[in-house]
Amino acid sequence: MPDKTLGQEFVKGLWAENPVSRQLLGMCSTLAVTNAVVNGLAMGLAVAFVLILSSLFVSLIRKIIPNQVRIASYIVIIASFVTIADRFMAAYFPPLSKALGPYVPLIVVNCIILGRAEAFASRNSAGRSLIDALGMSLGYTIALVILSAIRELLGSGTLLGRPVLGAWFEPWVIMLLPPGAFLTLGILIAAAFAIERKARRRRSA
Amino acid sequence: MKLPARMVVVLTGVSLLAAAFLAGVNLLTRERIATNKQKEIEAAISLVIPGARSSRKVYEERGFSVYAGSDESGNLLGWAVESVTGGFQDNIIFLVGADAELSRIRRLYILEQKETPGLGAKITDEKTFLQFWEGKDMNLPLALRKPPAGKEDLGPAEVNTITGATISSEAVLSGVTLSLDRLKKLRSEGRLEGEGSHAR
Amino acid sequence: MNLVLLFVSAVLINNFVLHYFLGICPFLGVSKKVDAALSMGVAVTFVLALTAVVTWPINHWLLIPYGMPYLQIVSFILVIASLVQLVEMFVRKTSPPLYQAMGIYLPLITVNCAIMGLALLASLKEYGFAETVVFGVGAGIGFTLAIVLMAAIRERLELADVPWPLRGAPIALIVAGIMALAFLGFSGMIK
Repeated sequence: MPDKTLGQEFVKGLWAENPVSRQLLGMCSTLAVTNAVVNGLAMGLAVAFVLILSSLFVSLIRKIIPNQVRIASYIVIIASFVTIADRFMAAYFPPLSKALGPYVPLIVVNCIILGRAEAFASRNSAGRSLIDALGMSLGYTIALVILSAIRELLGSGTLLGRPVLGAWFEPWVIMLLPPGAFLTLGILIAAAFAIERKARRRRSA
Repeated sequence: MKLPARMVVVLTGVSLLAAAFLAGVNLLTRERIATNKQKEIEAAISLVIPGARSSRKVYEERGFSVYAGSDESGNLLGWAVESVTGGFQDNIIFLVGADAELSRIRRLYILEQKETPGLGAKITDEKTFLQFWEGKDMNLPLALRKPPAGKEDLGPAEVNTITGATISSEAVLSGVTLSLDRLKKLRSEGRLEGEGSHAR
Repeated sequence: MNLVLLFVSAVLINNFVLHYFLGICPFLGVSKKVDAALSMGVAVTFVLALTAVVTWPINHWLLIPYGMPYLQIVSFILVIASLVQLVEMFVRKTSPPLYQAMGIYLPLITVNCAIMGLALLASLKEYGFAETVVFGVGAGIGFTLAIVLMAAIRERLELADVPWPLRGAPIALIVAGIMALAFLGFSGMIK
């Protein structure tokens, strides 16, 4: 299989291999913190931090780690970066940290990060792994922002805390609760499937 | 190096490096995190004991803490109780302020809640809920008024229920009642730290 | 806190899947057949109970007393990974047929958010030992309940005419949303 260009490595994370809409990974955090755009954005950035740094690290030391202990080592590396992200948030952004709660530490079991470490960073150069991580992070964050924008808009009538829809709008509180999360994500993924299928049909027509 | 030995060395090395790095991060952030917590409590206490410039924790047990709030000169202005009550969805953590003689409630503040947005979550709202608690008589049994009445029509120990959020309102009521009763009991038993040095 | 109330809360009111969004990956991935779902549920409950029993002492006798709460994330996940490994080895040695039935799910449990979530939530809520264990078992039973219900529904969905964009994950998520809605009815059950 021909090597992807660096540009392609980056772009794939945005759509073709989007962690949320295509790979269906990391859904625990996606559903839990997307009730407001600021929360979704913060989570996206936290995941980006952990994903980029751990992919980089794993890629840098991939040649000296024996195969049998690689998963354990990756876990330690990822857990460390998650702890750093969590501590930093608690120190410098306390209200965000409270809003995201246990879901920042839960990034450690977010399949995206271990998945990328195992599937990509452990077999590619640091440069490529970095680009891959950047693309995945961006794709993930965009998905989170879209999801939280819909939920916040319909659930509170605001975006980023600012009222957008007028007073005539009676917020659909259900959007802020678990059912709304599940439903919105399901519809978004279906939309992604539909768009992709139609695009593919057009390409091969 | 033979494989098993190499496995152990690499894993231990990675773990030690990680632990050392994290210890460093901890050193960098822990003071700030502690300060944040401190500031949050102090801000809340000055909300429930208006005029309080400093506070001191005088009693603590799991799920129940008492603070003494004083003004700049160190005079005791009132007591604040932080406690937990079971709400509709999850626990509600609140802070209620009482005056120094434990005769009237100063103010109520909700620290943490996970009630239904738009309904139970209104317990954090000043206009529909919190304002009615101010000045209520602590020596009468507190009661909820349903349907809600105007502020002037409420009895000396009556607070308004939030329409559509009876359970959340009742949870706060029972939590506050229990906490204030406990506070009065602890005070009469002299078990609040530093007792007798201020409230003269 | 009353242990019975805690248990009921973990199973129904604050169901790990439908309220805390933990364990979604297996919830969507292993819920196509009821017996597979049941096996996964039992395995997860077992690991949850073990995790509760092991992480509580580590947290309360080692990390917190020695001022190392910041090592919680690293320690918990390593403990969980090791526990899962041990359980897998144990099952493989003692009961090959059981391993045949459940073995493939076991490694997946390590990255099941529910396990790590249990350790973190119990620590956050400052539960005692008994409370943590009850919470863990309740969480597992709640997870099993949710995943078996989902599997039962999906088995029937296989025979229904689902529009093509919705097939697979989307319809499962929508079903989950309706289940979550139903479970919301349990709120306020215990006052």
